[in-house]
Amino acid sequence: MGQKQQTTTPLPTASALADADLVRSCRAGDVTAWRSLYERYAPLVHRFASALGVPVDEREDAAQDIFIAVFRSLKHFRGEAQLSTWIYRIAARHAIRLGRRRRTRETMRLTMLNEKPTVLNDPAERSTQIATLDRMLAKLPPKKRTVLVLFEIEGLSAKEISDVVGCPENTVWSRLHHARSEMVKAARRMVP
Amino acid sequence: MKWLEEPQNEAERLLREGLDQAAKRTGDEITHRRVWAKVSEAIEGPQPRFWFSGRLLFAGAATVLLVAASVVAYPHVRQLSQGHVSQPGPVAKNTANSAGANAAESMVPAGTAVAPADDQPSVETQAALLEAERVPGHVVRTRAGERARVALGGGAEAELAENSAITWDNQHRPSVEKGSARLSVPHQPPGWRFSVTAGPYVVTVVGTKFQVHVAMNTVSVEVTEGVVEVGRGSNSTRLVAGDSWHGPLYPEEAHAVPAAPQERPQAIPTPAAKPSVATTRGLQDAQAALQAGDTNRAVEILTRAAQGTGPAAENAAYELGRITRYNLNRPRQAVALWDKYRTRFPAGLLRTEADLSIVETLSQMGEVRAALAEADAFMSRHPTSERRQDVQRLAERLRAAETASDPK
Repeated sequence: MGQKQQTTTPLPTASALADADLVRSCRAGDVTAWRSLYERYAPLVHRFASALGVPVDEREDAAQDIFIAVFRSLKHFRGEAQLSTWIYRIAARHAIRLGRRRRTRETMRLTMLNEKPTVLNDPAERSTQIATLDRMLAKLPPKKRTVLVLFEIEGLSAKEISDVVGCPENTVWSRLHHARSEMVKAARRMVP
Repeated sequence: MKWLEEPQNEAERLLREGLDQAAKRTGDEITHRRVWAKVSEAIEGPQPRFWFSGRLLFAGAATVLLVAASVVAYPHVRQLSQGHVSQPGPVAKNTANSAGANAAESMVPAGTAVAPADDQPSVETQAALLEAERVPGHVVRTRAGERARVALGGGAEAELAENSAITWDNQHRPSVEKGSARLSVPHQPPGWRFSVTAGPYVVTVVGTKFQVHVAMNTVSVEVTEGVVEVGRGSNSTRLVAGDSWHGPLYPEEAHAVPAAPQERPQAIPTPAAKPSVATTRGLQDAQAALQAGDTNRAVEILTRAAQGTGPAAENAAYELGRITRYNLNRPRQAVALWDKYRTRFPAGLLRTEADLSIVETLSQMGEVRAALAEADAFMSRHPTSERRQDVQRLAERLRAAETASDPK
């Protein structure tokens, strides 16, 4: 019969780990690390998907799919880019794909008017500025939109954006310039 | 300086404000919890399934090679080994005294990490960690003079003593079949439990070190660190560090239920150990049934899934309430279902959402007092929740309504 033992000094929590250590722990099957990675990047994924036009009622499913894709591909992550850049890349691809599907669905919506009202859990969704911004962003082509969102909302540098979208830095600057001009024009149209 | 930080007109100001607001759109706590509940289902189990399939393939190929090699080597090995049969595998270390294989016995199908037993085995000095196939029916055995370390997934591992065996049951839980296993389980995230079976008993832990021993007629558990629960059917006993417990391997014959720990005689009854692990498949089927308009079928699937264990069962238990509320329009029954969820998963991933759903539903039903009580409980239970302010406002409205209807 064992005696009650002194507990050992607690190990550092996964949330304090650097991305590289977190990835290593995830690959080793550490469920705590999986959760920490999720908690660290869930707000980013949510924000990015929102800005790329994933509607409120599809955001949870989108985030779910993105994280499953992240966890599934983690073994291929070579650590050459930042983990966040890599997650942005997956999220962008997914959001654009969702957008394509959505446009297809919208053509069918006329005959299917049984959609349920959307529940707004996020207080930020109730903001008028957000609603206006979303309407303006929706008018941008996906490539310009992605660059503008990554630069203006996510705060990435042109170099990081070029890694995410897979184009030269000059192209990033060019797309950003055009996107900004179109946004200002759209804003002027909305505010006479 | 940010773009449009100094706007020249109203349009630019609106645009800048919109961008600033969009940067704060990080989702609320409930959304993140709900998504994690779904994501964790996909990566549920000792290893994510998408990794598991590749390993299965590899291990299967290794097994075929090993069996073939065993058949060829069998006559030679038999001469060397008298009464000591084992199959060293591809990841085996320190296998000098583990002898050859008996293909017919096929004790160690995918290879094992074995090491000579000593009187005081320690994790640091023993064999390399074996990443065994964690599939139902797969057995890792040690023979006389051997011991092995087996990875159980999620950072947990078992140190098998000599003459012991560990397998995986139909719910992919490790199961100590014979002999002794010292288990080390890292602390599990909220909502996660790690279960090991031994005979008819399920040992459930959150993060601990303990030893399970299965003898001819008894099962015993000795806890070194942390807390474990030993359960069978609806009975369970909680053990803390220093406790040990034993029960009959065939309780039907002994007419016994788990006895209280020897050093701490008071047994703490807890809810019944559930018989199966719910899977994501069930939830997907329920979703498909809902989309097809077959709500009753969805309820049926979810009811079944909710009876299992794990995040999928938890999700199903919560979803049952949601469907009952919004699809079947039975608010009272929905509240009862969410309440049931809270009882089963008091620290569950969707606990905040269940509490919130109950507050909202009671309020919509006009059950002012009950809604107020729930709202107050919500605010004290979740003081940092992003929805606290919403609930507070609701509580204020409910109080005003209560006062208006009862001016005394």
